[in-house]
Amino acid sequence: CLFPVLIDQLNTHWPMKVKLLLRNPQDYLRETADDIHKLARNPAPELHPMSAETEYVRALNAAKLERMFAKPFLGCFGDQGDQLSRVCMHPRALSLCLSGCVDGRVAFWNIPRRSRVLQLDAHSGCVQGLCWHPEQDLFYSCCDTDRTLKAWRVGDDLTEFSRPVSQRHLDFAPLNLDHHVSKDLFALSGDAVYLYDSRRSDPVGQWKWGSDSVLQARFNPTEWHLLAAVTKDNALLLIDTRQREPLRRIRCEFRQNALCWNPQEPFVLATASDDYNLYSWDARRLASPACVYRGHTNAAMDVDFAPTGRELVSASYDCTVRLWESGRSQSRDVYHTKRMYRVFAARYSLDARFIVTASADFNLRLWKARASEKLGALTPRERAAVNTAEALKQKYAHHPQVRRIVQHRHLPKRLYQAQLEMKAIRGKQRRKEVNRREHRGEDKEPFVPERDRHVRGVDE
Amino acid sequence: TMDVAAEDSDQMPSGFHAKAAAKAARLRREAAKLASAAALESPGGIESRPGEWAPTQSKLLRRVAVAARPGHFELSLQYGPYSVAYDTTGRLLALCGRGGHVAAFEWRQKRLMFESQVNEPCHALTWVGAGSTPQLAVAHSNWTYIYDAQGLELHCLKRLHKANKLFWLPRHWLLAACTDTGHLHWQDVSTGQTVASYCGHHGPLRVSALHPDSGCVLTGQPNGQLCIWTPLEKRPVVKILCCPAGVRAVATAPAGHAVYTLGGDSRLRVWDIRCLRPLSVSDNGADAASIRLFDAAPQLAVSQRGLLACPVRQGAALMVLPAGGAKPLLSHPSPGRLSDLAFCPWEDVLAFGHARGLGSVLVPGSGEPNPDGAVHPLSGKRQRREAEVRGLLDKLPPETIAPPAVGGGVNAVDAEGIEEALARKRAAVMALPSDEVRQFQPRRRSGKASGELNRKVGERWQRRRMELRQLLKSKKRVLAEMGDEGADAAGGRKTKKAKKISQSGELTKPATGTFLDRLIPKAD
Repeated sequence: CLFPVLIDQLNTHWPMKVKLLLRNPQDYLRETADDIHKLARNPAPELHPMSAETEYVRALNAAKLERMFAKPFLGCFGDQGDQLSRVCMHPRALSLCLSGCVDGRVAFWNIPRRSRVLQLDAHSGCVQGLCWHPEQDLFYSCCDTDRTLKAWRVGDDLTEFSRPVSQRHLDFAPLNLDHHVSKDLFALSGDAVYLYDSRRSDPVGQWKWGSDSVLQARFNPTEWHLLAAVTKDNALLLIDTRQREPLRRIRCEFRQNALCWNPQEPFVLATASDDYNLYSWDARRLASPACVYRGHTNAAMDVDFAPTGRELVSASYDCTVRLWESGRSQSRDVYHTKRMYRVFAARYSLDARFIVTASADFNLRLWKARASEKLGALTPRERAAVNTAEALKQKYAHHPQVRRIVQHRHLPKRLYQAQLEMKAIRGKQRRKEVNRREHRGEDKEPFVPERDRHVRGVDE
Repeated sequence: TMDVAAEDSDQMPSGFHAKAAAKAARLRREAAKLASAAALESPGGIESRPGEWAPTQSKLLRRVAVAARPGHFELSLQYGPYSVAYDTTGRLLALCGRGGHVAAFEWRQKRLMFESQVNEPCHALTWVGAGSTPQLAVAHSNWTYIYDAQGLELHCLKRLHKANKLFWLPRHWLLAACTDTGHLHWQDVSTGQTVASYCGHHGPLRVSALHPDSGCVLTGQPNGQLCIWTPLEKRPVVKILCCPAGVRAVATAPAGHAVYTLGGDSRLRVWDIRCLRPLSVSDNGADAASIRLFDAAPQLAVSQRGLLACPVRQGAALMVLPAGGAKPLLSHPSPGRLSDLAFCPWEDVLAFGHARGLGSVLVPGSGEPNPDGAVHPLSGKRQRREAEVRGLLDKLPPETIAPPAVGGGVNAVDAEGIEEALARKRAAVMALPSDEVRQFQPRRRSGKASGELNRKVGERWQRRRMELRQLLKSKKRVLAEMGDEGADAAGGRKTKKAKKISQSGELTKPATGTFLDRLIPKAD
């Protein structure tokens, strides 16, 4: 029959093509035991359903893990025996810092070991000022009781020196001390701001506005002629050393206890105020603070910028230390311990990773700046995982479940109650204003933003 | 982020910006490379001449490599009609028979994991857990048991009573079950918690399928309805009428939005679960809404690439239809009456269980060629362990199980929250307390302890009066914002300010840009 031949020819000339999915195991297995395992990748969305939900769960887990690993307290430096008044970080060495005591002792600490290297009986009264020379191994201390300014040299072998290199008697009681970034000048604040040259016995400059004493004066790290000072009569002064009179005086409602210049932005400074707030000021526009940092439930005693210029730390009379991001008025973190009493000083370490605090319970404490940071070397995969977790948290930061985990911090009962009290007080004030505005009208009772409420006036 | 090409990097304002732009360009290039990467494998398929018969297995075996032979085998077993199940990696195959035979083996190497006789009829089974510690859940006549890889009985789930279908939700780590008593169960296998267990009040749920992409259970009802169930709702979330007669079988593809229903009128229909509308089945346009499956018994299986397998000739043979087509791709006779069909994930293999045992046939083009991650047949033990841990960390909460038609999801706008806020504002505007309520004075009591009582009652009404005062104030404020027409529409009195504005002839206040704009009546 013709047909079988035809069919046969068709079969040979036009055979059915069959392709079966067969995988070569070699494509999926690693070549040697030293290689990493191979991972098959197919980004097609059909193979990844519910990817948004998975990402959300990962963001939630990242937030929870961050809180689980948030253990910022590293340790105490050891009992100093009396209340600490000042902390001063070494300008070049990461692991060294100084502390000044109310009984006149100055101690030299090794931060990683949290041990005291050296102790000097520097003064007979409270050590009011401590600062390092920027280049030499020299530090200065001043005391208001014996009205002296002493310079100490610390050698490489860190042996104890009982006598200062030089000593200067002052005819005023100094309240604080700061050294210039590069020149051989230092600023003493007492009844006025005095500028001293290390080679001359008399002050090179003197500035005063009003009759009250100056609590602290700091040099601007970038603008070498610019000084800022805070006075006892609730004022912030801006001084140019080339002029006889201070440039500006900002009259605030409450006393500013401490101030700090931003090391990265030359015109920004931050002050810690008695009205529980911190303020950051733009020196170009002093009519109102650039940002009001609200969170403390008692007077803010000290403020310090991180070397990056992006973060602040504040020490408060309410026994907490708060960390802030520059420009955000809510604190990023709050550190407290049962044993830590009023905190009078807080300083960032040079690498912006650690914070040293001095408190009224006679202790210096070391904290991490990032509470859940892993200290130690991170492998590349660990670093990638940390970065991914950070990115996920930011992506879902608005989501209520993620936000409540990221924002929540446990506070002891008295601090929590104090916070609620502040909230109630503030709420009452706002409600009263709203009622007044409704009753009297917008023109008679205008809305004043938060920033404009804290400055009484600027004088030139 | 700077969205500028790398060649513009020399025009960047600073080195920092140049670096950021270069990094963004590099990431874009890498993403494009990954997206367009030549895939490792290509899918299988059959190219036959037009008019040619569907190939038999022997013909296929002659034309494929020897390595494909393990996919074609027959097992003659005696313990009743068998159900089969593959695990998610496609490496393990399990079977259970109505005569009580339960077994699991690696089908490629034909390595038996365990085999046991449980002396009870077993109706359904599914693999649970991840590939590193595989466990098998088997629905016996009364309860459901979980066996480990060695066949040891780990758990007896008495709550899953008379289950006739078991489903595994890998992303949620949930074991779902439909029972003859009309109950639905969702059991968390990682924590052991029962997420949901309720009676659906829709009769015995004998026809069911899982939609893997969303985790919902679909059931077919005798009145032609298709119901979609979620663990959080005790009633079907969605009900669609999909057949004029009762629904005899439901099946879903392992990925995607297609749902196949076989009705009592022997018509196979394909639905899109996202919009709940029919998808056309055949390309030639003839009978686009459904295809007729004569003598089709009610079992359907769908492969990863959309191939549909169904029994024909009352279970005497199985037929594989291509995706979206009506002309059979493949057919194979079955030694016994077909009871279950299952496509192997990631492979071109189909397993079928019948009254006299089970078999496995090659089906070119059914498996997804390129997997993602460690869930594929060739992943090693370490990778499977890693994937299990990651799967547990990424376990989704049961709230995420929702049919796509209903909407919502993690990234959806919180419309309810917005609506609630609007309703509150509307209530503040519209609810005007009447004078008598405002001026009400509580009755003073007399007698023992009346002083305390009077004080308390007075305090309570004082608080109520303050609340009413606040309510009035907020209404006034909202009316003032709404302006002249708004005040009239709400039936309230015009405030002094509104009167001033209307008298001066100024335009009313423009829209504030808040939710309250919805209350401003449109100009007619």
